[in-house]
Amino acid sequence: MAEVDTTSPQSAYEPADGFFDELFHADGSPRPHAAALAAGLEALGAERLAAAGRRRDAIFVQQGITFDTTGEDGPTLERPFPLDLVPRILPASEWTHIKRGLAQRIRALNRFVDDVYHAREIVRAGIVPWRLVVSRSHFARAAHGIRPPGGVYCHVAGCDLVRDSDGSWKVLEDNVRTPSGISYVLENRVAMTRLLPGLFSEYRVRPVDHYPQLLLAALRTVAPAAEGEATVVVWTPGPLNSAYFEHAFLARQMGVELVEASDLVVRDDVVYMRTTHGLQRVHAVYRRLDDDFIDPLEFRPDSALGVPGLMRAYRAGTVALANAVGTGVADDKAIYHYVPEMVRFYLGEEPLLENVRTYLMSDPTLMEHALGRMDELVFKPTGESGGKGVFIGPTTDRPTLAGLADVIRRSPEKWIAQEVVKLSTVPTADEHGVLSPRHVDLRPFAVFGETISIVPGGLSRVALTEGSMIVNSSRGGGSKDTWVLESGDDSGDRAAPLRPESLPPTLPDLRYGAWTGQQQQQQQTRDPARPCSPA
Amino acid sequence: MHFSIRFLTEYVYDAPVSDNLNALRVRPATTSSQRCDEFTVRIEPEARVGRHSDYFGTEVLEFGIVRPHSKLRIDVRARVVTSEPPDPPEAGWEALETEAYAEAAGEYLLKALDEPEEGVLDELQATARKATPLATLRALCDLIPDRYEYRAGVTYVGTTVEEFLRVGAGVCQDYVHLALILLRRNGIAARYVSGYLWAAPADEGDDSVEVETHAWLEALLPGLDGRGEPVWVGADPTNRRLAGERHVKIGHGRHYADVPPIRGVYQGAARSTLDASVHMTRLDPQAGARA
Amino acid sequence: MLARIAQELFWLGRNLARAEQMSRLLDGVFQADLQGRPEDPSASRLGWDSLMHIMGASREDDVPSNRDDVLDALTFDSTNPASVVACVARAREGATTVRDVISAEMWEAINTTHLRLRDGDLSSRLYSGPYSIYKHVKERSALFWGLTARTMLRDEASAFLSAGGRIEAGDMVLRMLRVALPSADADVDGAADGQAIALLQAVGGVQAYRRAVPAPAHAGPVARFLLFERNYPDSVAAAVDAVNSALRQADAQPRNSEPILRLSRLSADLEFRRSAEGDADLVRTCREVQRELGLVDADIAQRYFGGARAAA
Repeated sequence: MAEVDTTSPQSAYEPADGFFDELFHADGSPRPHAAALAAGLEALGAERLAAAGRRRDAIFVQQGITFDTTGEDGPTLERPFPLDLVPRILPASEWTHIKRGLAQRIRALNRFVDDVYHAREIVRAGIVPWRLVVSRSHFARAAHGIRPPGGVYCHVAGCDLVRDSDGSWKVLEDNVRTPSGISYVLENRVAMTRLLPGLFSEYRVRPVDHYPQLLLAALRTVAPAAEGEATVVVWTPGPLNSAYFEHAFLARQMGVELVEASDLVVRDDVVYMRTTHGLQRVHAVYRRLDDDFIDPLEFRPDSALGVPGLMRAYRAGTVALANAVGTGVADDKAIYHYVPEMVRFYLGEEPLLENVRTYLMSDPTLMEHALGRMDELVFKPTGESGGKGVFIGPTTDRPTLAGLADVIRRSPEKWIAQEVVKLSTVPTADEHGVLSPRHVDLRPFAVFGETISIVPGGLSRVALTEGSMIVNSSRGGGSKDTWVLESGDDSGDRAAPLRPESLPPTLPDLRYGAWTGQQQQQQQTRDPARPCSPA
Repeated sequence: MHFSIRFLTEYVYDAPVSDNLNALRVRPATTSSQRCDEFTVRIEPEARVGRHSDYFGTEVLEFGIVRPHSKLRIDVRARVVTSEPPDPPEAGWEALETEAYAEAAGEYLLKALDEPEEGVLDELQATARKATPLATLRALCDLIPDRYEYRAGVTYVGTTVEEFLRVGAGVCQDYVHLALILLRRNGIAARYVSGYLWAAPADEGDDSVEVETHAWLEALLPGLDGRGEPVWVGADPTNRRLAGERHVKIGHGRHYADVPPIRGVYQGAARSTLDASVHMTRLDPQAGARA
Repeated sequence: MLARIAQELFWLGRNLARAEQMSRLLDGVFQADLQGRPEDPSASRLGWDSLMHIMGASREDDVPSNRDDVLDALTFDSTNPASVVACVARAREGATTVRDVISAEMWEAINTTHLRLRDGDLSSRLYSGPYSIYKHVKERSALFWGLTARTMLRDEASAFLSAGGRIEAGDMVLRMLRVALPSADADVDGAADGQAIALLQAVGGVQAYRRAVPAPAHAGPVARFLLFERNYPDSVAAAVDAVNSALRQADAQPRNSEPILRLSRLSADLEFRRSAEGDADLVRTCREVQRELGLVDADIAQRYFGGARAAA
């Protein structure tokens, strides 16, 4: 707070009312840990920031770091994954809190998965109703009674965190099926160090590039094979999957084969892959597709996808599947409501991270309450992920809400309502290098093998449209490199002495809040800036 | 009653197939009114058979045949002793509202099948509803065959209830699916049962008959006066009666797909022709007079 | 490596080689056609419809084709699996799948070739002078194989890629010979020099032939050169040897390998025919060698891509 410069013209601007900005105080002065960054950006200037953005797009297209988005009229477009060049910074103390909270949550979720397919203690204790569990679309009866090696089910977890208007961290949803995005975390970091190395000079940022090794080690740990002999594969649905890039990336980084269903075959309870030298035993499969598509004998007989007999091998314990079969029951949005209770029940601890206030529509009273204030709440279908089917009350028109109310009344067990979270903001550059606040969330990635490891930071997704809180990349969101600082490295000790009080408010380009005009300009010039096909 | 059952399935492929993987749910269960004394399965070509008990408690036999073959023969033999279940309790509707009932009912009260447009079902549901849950169960066993003709070949394993209602005819599986929906809509927990039925000719003259695998259902009826555990009571809408000692149960589930007798996949573009038969023999013909 | 990936690489090689050889073939036939005279006995052998037929591209409802139809069908018709464009498109699709296995430069070479071929500009040039289009494909193909030699690890993956490329090249040379050679009962020497030279030009072997063979470029000696001359890289014998050595590199147990054994027999057979055979049998030789290559292809699929063998 000491470095506030009240004489600056910039101090007249404030981040939108009622939102927490992670880098700047409400008066436009940088928070202590962001001072060096703000100075770095000032030194850089808008022009050079914009130029770095163009280099970034060219590099991403060339390397195929792209994401398919669904355009307004349907067809999918392949565009460079939009990495915003202003990093998000998490001081060490904040990260420690998040990390502990997540590890605690994932331990509880893992216990829950084990419990619902075995003893059902939490049901007997009257905490989670059995009928709610069995009515979840991802409750996997085929997983009943199967305990994977080490009792680990949620090998890879990605919980979505948000920051409310008071700056407190909350869990928005849990992803313990096949969370994606880690490849962007790694690629973003590489791109940032190449494009804007100067920004790193005042910080000691914790590395993230060890993720593939963490994952490989975890998969080896749970693989039923002698040490060092486990064959691990990554199973992708194929090149048409929107996250295929990530599947290939992880396989490459771990140095293992990227397989499709047709590569795998089960012979007498054992999984093999077809190689040029015949069949080779596979011990652990990091699968990137849902339960429904892994074994037509157990799940969908109408589907020709999958590896027939895989569940038989899994049941026999000759192969580890990551994540385990049936974890989807734990990231259902109605089950989410009970996670704090799970933490208390299984771990005997108080949850470190709060939930967003949630109402189960299966409760008639809560449903009436929620339907009475539809324009204030967010409505989510319980079995979906990735922002699919979500309605945000305040920005949805009345006829749509009325139609939604009918849908919910017809199958209330498939819906929840949540209070709107006022997502925090982080300055984000437009294509002219001008900064304005945009809403973000955070998806840290945890790997559970012998222990739970969480890669510092995670994927910060940012809504690129002014005011929007939809951060999903499939719906136009971008991302940010997320810096977790080494402890004792908040700008207080290193950055502040180097950069005294004269900081950002004098930046012509760091026009906090002055984005309306620029925004229009950005839209006019968006297309020409898009990279074209190589000659 | 004492039966010997032989369930013989033969697939013939018009070109060799390989990696033929199958899961069988054919073993008679052991319950309070039924005991499976002997059970063998022979697969040709030979294959190692793995066994486990699934979520619903049904024994599943799994096997895979790797090498190319153009014929698959599954020969299942079992010996079973059944007894007539006790008379079902007849409690009032209010007994469905208890905690104990809801707990015993579990997921069998939940919607598990796609339901057709409301109109038809509302009418059927209202017509079937009688003074007590048991009376409703009995009424359904007549209502469905009264309204819908039993005719083989017009539906298949994947037929939905909506299609069945539209066609107006079907087989035991379709009858049961409709009955399950109507029972659940009336608040009665109900489950699909797969098994074998001793369907001897009326004069009971034969000791041995050709039958097919059969489907019926079980409804959870509350105990009397709010006392006593709720009981699963078998009912067979195809044969207009409650299930008895002629019914040999394999297993149950929410619907057909939870207890299919045979499910399999193979590699190869060949078409297959299926020949399946269930042969039941009574080993205690002297008891036949009783029925 | 994964059988599926090996198969993709093999077919990547095949598709690229087919696109290149198809371009060479069309170019050669086009030039010969321009120079053909009605009284030339060879003219009938270069009929455009027989070209469609020999490429397995003719359809049931086909009426005898004219030049422009054939050029279009075999060059730009993406629905015709034998066309240059279709081959390149399939190659690119395959390259996408094996992108992690081949080098980035190789991928870019294929990608760019594909994108350029789809340009409207190129197709409009077809009728004015197809030469530049075929030159483009030939050059891009050379670039790809050059990059492969320079940038790809010489492992199992590169062995399958090269096996595919070479088996296709051998097969296409045989197809070309069958287009160009008169049938067995005709007098071989009746074939005009122009046609044999066009063929040599098509495969780019004029200079090599002149240096290796003293005889004038009549059909017989040219065919023998293209079939048997091991020192000429695009000959059938050289292709057979190249596939053989590529597979030996990929196979841990070459002695038990059906495709390798078959290739070795074929190689010895070619050597024998070279010394034993008169020109009259050349057409039959082409047919038999081509059938044998087809069996090699089936053996390769069975041994390396089927993965059907039980695990040890």
